[in-house]
Amino acid sequence: MLNTIPKSWNSKLKPHLFCPGCGHGIAFKQLGFAIDGLGLQKEITMGVDIGCSLLAWNFLDVPTIQTHHGRTTPLLVGYKMVRPKRIVISYMGDGAAWGIGLQNIIHAAYRNNPVTVIVINNENFAMTGGQASYTTLPGTVTPTSPIGKSPELGAGFKGPELIRNVAHKEAYIARSTVANPIHLLSTLKKAILSQKENNNFALVEVLSICPTNWKTNAKASLDIAIDMEKVYPIGEVR
Amino acid sequence: MTHTTKIILAGEGGQGIQTIAKVITEVAAAQGMMVSYIPVFGVEQRGTPSVALIILSNEEIFYPRFDNADYAIVLQKRAVSSVESYLHNKTKIVFDSSTIGAENLPKEAIHRFGIPATQLAAEKFTPKAFNLIVAGKLSQVLNLDEDRVWQKIEKLLGKKFKTTEIREKSKQAFLFGRQFVFELKHFSKPIFQPATGKIVSKNAEKTALIDPERCKGCGICIVKCPVGALKFSDTLGVFATPVPEIDLEKCIACGNCFRFCPDGAIAVTKNKKFK
Amino acid sequence: MTEKLFITGNEAAVRGAVDAGAKIMFGYPITPATEILEGWIAKTVIDKNLQFLQTEDEIAAGFGVIGAVLGGAKAFSASAGIGHVLLQDPISMAENMRLPFVGIMMQRGGPSTGTVNFSQQEVNLAIHGGNGDSFRIVYSASSVDEMYSLVIKAFSAAWKYRFPTFVLGDGYLGKMKATVELKKPLKSVESKQILSESGSPTWLRNCFSSEEELNTLLQSHIADWEKNKNKIVESESFHTNDARYLVVAHGIVASAAKETILKMRSERIRIGLFRPITLNPFDGEALRTIARSAKHIFIIESAYGQLGKIAKAELAGHGIKAKISQISKPAEGFTPDEIIKEIKKHNA
Repeated sequence: MLNTIPKSWNSKLKPHLFCPGCGHGIAFKQLGFAIDGLGLQKEITMGVDIGCSLLAWNFLDVPTIQTHHGRTTPLLVGYKMVRPKRIVISYMGDGAAWGIGLQNIIHAAYRNNPVTVIVINNENFAMTGGQASYTTLPGTVTPTSPIGKSPELGAGFKGPELIRNVAHKEAYIARSTVANPIHLLSTLKKAILSQKENNNFALVEVLSICPTNWKTNAKASLDIAIDMEKVYPIGEVR
Repeated sequence: MTHTTKIILAGEGGQGIQTIAKVITEVAAAQGMMVSYIPVFGVEQRGTPSVALIILSNEEIFYPRFDNADYAIVLQKRAVSSVESYLHNKTKIVFDSSTIGAENLPKEAIHRFGIPATQLAAEKFTPKAFNLIVAGKLSQVLNLDEDRVWQKIEKLLGKKFKTTEIREKSKQAFLFGRQFVFELKHFSKPIFQPATGKIVSKNAEKTALIDPERCKGCGICIVKCPVGALKFSDTLGVFATPVPEIDLEKCIACGNCFRFCPDGAIAVTKNKKFK
Repeated sequence: MTEKLFITGNEAAVRGAVDAGAKIMFGYPITPATEILEGWIAKTVIDKNLQFLQTEDEIAAGFGVIGAVLGGAKAFSASAGIGHVLLQDPISMAENMRLPFVGIMMQRGGPSTGTVNFSQQEVNLAIHGGNGDSFRIVYSASSVDEMYSLVIKAFSAAWKYRFPTFVLGDGYLGKMKATVELKKPLKSVESKQILSESGSPTWLRNCFSSEEELNTLLQSHIADWEKNKNKIVESESFHTNDARYLVVAHGIVASAAKETILKMRSERIRIGLFRPITLNPFDGEALRTIARSAKHIFIIESAYGQLGKIAKAELAGHGIKAKISQISKPAEGFTPDEIIKEIKKHNA
């Protein structure tokens, strides 16, 4: 029988609860393949946030803890200190990473805590209905920016670039996209290995899609993700 | 004398349950009734049933929730369990008979009124107009003014009527719903039900597997197929949205659909001989 | 096996944590708790099995504690004042998920940054600071010795009963030095991995989609709380056998009251002290037993009725005839002589 899902997915979660066409599904597909490919399923501990990532609390067949908003990273920092052989993945959205959880990511990077942070960036606070986030581009209409997000609120938050400035020089910081699953797979593998092989911090921002809040169809959603690369470039951040 | 009508409306997230509720309650309020409306919701945006509780009365309403419904409107099989606890021997249950078999209704649902809205929408109007048929019929049952209701629908959904043709079809669907006579004894067959099991297609070179129990009909695989081997079929997936079908002759087994599918609902492989 | 030391309350707390088997501390400098962090760090230099992390703020410290207990290690934090407020974010999660979170909270004047010295104003915060129904164990230390023994008790209670557990101290206790005889406990409760790594995966969450799911979870917390609270509860009755006047006080104010009691007893006044050792759960039964024969009860605290509200709720509806006087001095301490004055004033 053909396998349609990675081995490390919880096969009983059918269907999973992400929206139709959600970028989380694509990200988890490649994360699942990364874990399968590296043979690390038995070593992974996953942390998820309270946004849409909360729906992944039982997504992978690995120990998983759902935390308060923005707090996955400091929790996994503490956990890793007492369970140093575990590979910890701190998984969240752009709202959690670049706002409420930013302080904790900066300091985990600064201390070079061996944690792999994955930020799914769909340029909005999706779980609560699509409000503007730090990566929402100026002019975008959202429930908290009904006449378009003011340019005074920033031109688009470049998190990985910020983290690059405080992280250890050998930490792996990169950006990928659900629009390029092959690139995403290799990026996620590198981010996991940065922790496993070199005991370094790693952070990957994944440009994602949100058809529900963007109110777009499949093609338009993916087109937007590709368009976002003009503001948020793909590749390793050096 | 107090006249109070308690209504529970339940369907799949994304079916427009809350929109129907908004239309009904805003018109009822404008017509001078005392109205209360509360959505019942959990964390998920999609993926769990969308439920609305509505109370219409001629007296002040203190509390938006209730135990027993006068009307239970159920539009998807998965939503039946959401209304179960609200049923008692006087509840009138209105259900989409083209997606829910009468035999799947709880035994407490004695007074049954069928309306095969999904089938009617797909056959006569546009599939998306199915909730307008329901809104139409509901507005008639609750004695809401036809013109006011349509105006409200235009106000709330106007942006979705992208062409005059869609707008016209939508209005026809709404009016059709208003005139519709409920099925009372002989109900339509629930042919618009999500499929179960796996759909396997095979030819000499390739095997494809599509899993309707995972597919949510997002259409990403169709967009990402480089040779146009995928298109939507009539089979429904778990959220009652169409599942793709594959033309194995066109397919080149590139793996794009497999890679991109957010739900892990599709995979294609080259048969051993040809690898 | 006992040891005599002349140490501060904060130093005693560190010893308590070490002897309780704590393995890791997460903290942030804040007066008057900073010496606990520094003292623990000094221990980690000598004993390589012990770890610490000075975090970027108290929220990170609290979540670090949670991460460590999920990994099966006895972990704690120490804080005060506004740091105690920030800790409510992680503590609420520990409450929902029944995690053995241990915290040592050295009360200072509040609200806001108040003073760095002393108060008893963090009682409400320690018990009710989260956004739930407050299933936490709260001890109140009244001496340097108790800063040692209650910290050890806190680790035992937390891991045995799985409720977040706190030891409330204050700035005076933290900084004062006294001779203490440390009695190391014979047996400690084992810690174990909560995010278990073998067998079927452990998936832990604190967010639920339906009200019914959460209510079901909370009912099980309530059942555990009701089942165990009588085993957890602790109090001290000091000269209460024939007391017609009863002082109700906790922490270091209760210690001052002990001197008051002894002075007044030497003047043949039949006065005693009821001292709750656990503020939550509260030993209402012991209080009521003593209060029944009292004429006048004096609730004395360095806060505005935080202890008073608890004590009065425990006394109400049980036919207690005594007059109750609430003596509040928020953020300021009482000397034993002051307490005598207050008692005489309220008894006039």
